[in-house]
Amino acid sequence: MTASPSLSSSLRRAAGADQTGAAAVIAVADLRRTFSAGRRRNRRTIEAVRGVTFTVEPGERLAFIGPNGAGKSTSIKMLTGLLRPSAGTVRVLGLEPWSERRALSRRIGTLFGQRSLLWGELPARTSLATLGAIHGIDRSGLGRRIDELGELLEATHLFDQAVRTLSLGQRMRCELAAALLHRPQLLFLDEPTIGLDLLAKQRFREVLVRLNTEHGTTVFLTSHDVADVEHVAARAVIVNHGTVIHDSPVAALRRNLLTAKRIEVGLARALTVPEARAALGPDIGPVTPLGSAPGRGEEAPVDGIAIDVDTRRQAIGEVLDRVLQRLAVADVSVADPPLETVIGEIYARPAATPAAGPGPHAGGAP
Amino acid sequence: MTASTITAPGRADHARDLGAAYARVAHAAARATRAQPAALAHTGIHYLIVAVAISSLWTRAASGHGGTIVGYRADALVWYLAATEVTAIAPPLRLIDRLGADVATGRFELELLRPAPAVWIRVAAELGTAMPRTAVCTALGAGLALGVGGAPASLAALALAGPALLFGVALTVVAQHLLAAASFWLRDSRASWFLYQKLQFTLGGLVLPLEVLPGGMGRVARFTPFAAMSYAPGRLASGHLEPGWLLAQIGWLAVLGLVTARVFAAGERHLGGGEP
Amino acid sequence: MRTQRRRRAIVAALRGLGAVWRTAWAEALANRRSFVVQMTVMMVNDLVWIFFWQVFFRRVGSVRGWTVDDMMVLYAILALAAGLVLGALANLRWLGPLVANGDLDSALALPVDPLGFLALRQVSPVNVGDLVFGIGLFLWLGHPTPARLALLAVATAASVAVLAGFLALLGSLAFLPGTAGAGELGLSAVIVFSSYPTDLFGGALRLALFAVVPAALVGSLPAELVQHPSPAGLAGLAGGAAAFAGAGWLSFRLGLRRYTSGAAWTAL
Repeated sequence: MTASPSLSSSLRRAAGADQTGAAAVIAVADLRRTFSAGRRRNRRTIEAVRGVTFTVEPGERLAFIGPNGAGKSTSIKMLTGLLRPSAGTVRVLGLEPWSERRALSRRIGTLFGQRSLLWGELPARTSLATLGAIHGIDRSGLGRRIDELGELLEATHLFDQAVRTLSLGQRMRCELAAALLHRPQLLFLDEPTIGLDLLAKQRFREVLVRLNTEHGTTVFLTSHDVADVEHVAARAVIVNHGTVIHDSPVAALRRNLLTAKRIEVGLARALTVPEARAALGPDIGPVTPLGSAPGRGEEAPVDGIAIDVDTRRQAIGEVLDRVLQRLAVADVSVADPPLETVIGEIYARPAATPAAGPGPHAGGAP
Repeated sequence: MTASTITAPGRADHARDLGAAYARVAHAAARATRAQPAALAHTGIHYLIVAVAISSLWTRAASGHGGTIVGYRADALVWYLAATEVTAIAPPLRLIDRLGADVATGRFELELLRPAPAVWIRVAAELGTAMPRTAVCTALGAGLALGVGGAPASLAALALAGPALLFGVALTVVAQHLLAAASFWLRDSRASWFLYQKLQFTLGGLVLPLEVLPGGMGRVARFTPFAAMSYAPGRLASGHLEPGWLLAQIGWLAVLGLVTARVFAAGERHLGGGEP
Repeated sequence: MRTQRRRRAIVAALRGLGAVWRTAWAEALANRRSFVVQMTVMMVNDLVWIFFWQVFFRRVGSVRGWTVDDMMVLYAILALAAGLVLGALANLRWLGPLVANGDLDSALALPVDPLGFLALRQVSPVNVGDLVFGIGLFLWLGHPTPARLALLAVATAASVAVLAGFLALLGSLAFLPGTAGAGELGLSAVIVFSSYPTDLFGGALRLALFAVVPAALVGSLPAELVQHPSPAGLAGLAGGAAAFAGAGWLSFRLGLRRYTSGAAWTAL
């Protein structure tokens, strides 16, 4: 795994993508996309992507994350040649995606959310053989490749069942096999873990990491799930309102931004928030009522509370112990903060450590 | 409609409350259908395509035979077909498929928990959906018949064709519920839908007056509910003042209603493990 | 050298599309019983129409010069064309929804012609029943001779080209906003009107059945070619087939350009 390039070098490379971009698998410079929406009179222009610049080196595992409507999908569509940018340059494996889409499709793999390329009534193996024929892979090579992928994705036993009968997680592994048939150097995944249960998500993430570390495939995925970033990516690019607001190794992101956990507690006996706060001690993080109507004031007893824990100050286990000992707990769960909270943090501290500081285009953010 | 009002004392009160519930369901369904003018327009255009094609065939045939065929003048045939096609196009789409699927997947079972009889609530909703569609198709059909066929031969007969169309559409809705009940036992009602369509097509006189059917087939067809569905409004709209058809329609509605109630009751017992 | 490479690329592309079509058939046949049932249902449906036409012509004799024999040939061609287009190229019918739902994206990510891939990737058993029925009907009531069978093949090919082109044209409407539902109505119009002799219709409607909703080119003209072959009929039919097939292909390409240029995107 190569370390992600420093921002200044990625900028330099992106700016001169045509000359020095040979090493980069993706070089994007000042990428822009506007859409016009509405009819006639109230037609307005929406800037979905406004000046995105970054490069990706061979062998990186990059998560391109942002809330819904941040410009992720628009960006990945431009990178894979489905959409022509309004301005800016893109080179993927040295090709211009929209004008050389067919050539590019022979060298990249794509997995778009839940869209299926497989024939539901047939075993996945048949679909893989068909897609292999489209890629022009000869028959003997194809059989070997399917066996290889079965092993890599732990899916050999799945390949012989009708796709319709597979669970979503199992089917996604078969879809991934389809995307990898032609040994792409670069794999694009658009929201691959949406709808999967926890276990299937974890398994899918492991497969992506293994694909990258063992076979050197560059992985580029979009997500709005913070956990995808933590468990798959080595580098995170965060986009919001069409601009890159953060670009750093995930380790730095974790150190500086993913520092909060939220404990949600269902109470066996209703308490007011001040009562709960008093029981937990003065050094506890912010306590808020869960699921109660706002505006009823702190004096109303509630059935659940949320505690936001700053993991740099306090170990999550220690807070949990206290919750279990001092409150009548009916139910408890620990969650990552939603992406929106992380993004809020980025805006809140514009001058954090240099490695984790906002990207060079954060100036354009609202 | 709450359980307490349904179980209020007195059979008359009960019946009145049920009637109000059906009316409300039908009204809501009709409003939902009216709220989608694009879908209604779609239905109307589809009706026009079918009606224009089939009426062109028969008017050309009649004009090739000195203007009259099997006792119908060319203009009467246009009125006839404009009416019968309403009973084919206006009823809600894929009714048997939808109800059959709901029975097979158990969704219908949940509706049995409601205080009102599930099948009649469904019938009321489908009738409500059918009404705006019937209105649109009837208006277009009248326009087509006036434009292509000319003035109706008998205004009195045409006046009876209005209620006959409503009864005809109601009959299609009840009959489809009855056929969909096959799903209680077969878990699949697609064959019923298919069977129903073909029977309405031939025995209902949808695209050809029953008088054209060979041998005794036409005479037998007159005594089936399919003739009451489609042929009856067609016959009246084409200027034949035969009010008996309205009575036949009401009779068939009663018979099919009774049979449907019995079959659904048996089906519900079947779902409940065979216990009454 | 270059032409050779080009030829090799075309052969490879055809091989890929052939594999897709084989897989589509395999999927349709995967549930053999359901396949047979669905096919049979459609064949009985067709049979009821044949019953109608037989009854009709027995009473009427002929209408605008069309006899029951002409009508049987028309229906055979229509069944064959519907079987091949709606049955064996089933997705042409759903092109609009496929485009609107974004299924185009996965096709565009493959090194393959997207229209060909989408059209070939699904077979509909119901309409395969039409295909079988069309063959059976012609052998039964079409007075088959080798020469007439050859004419039937040509007429059916033209009918298929027109119908497929028209469906591609309708499907491409989905690239424009506000055209939902047009595809379905267009399909029902072309199928309904092509199952009647075009000579029944006059005026603007008749013109429309040649130029807008090409029902005349799907049913009546191909049937006339088999019944009364003439160089003029053949030329007219071939011209119409080329025009509609070309228009369908071109409209999809233009739509695709609009799609990738982002103009077809109404939301993000």
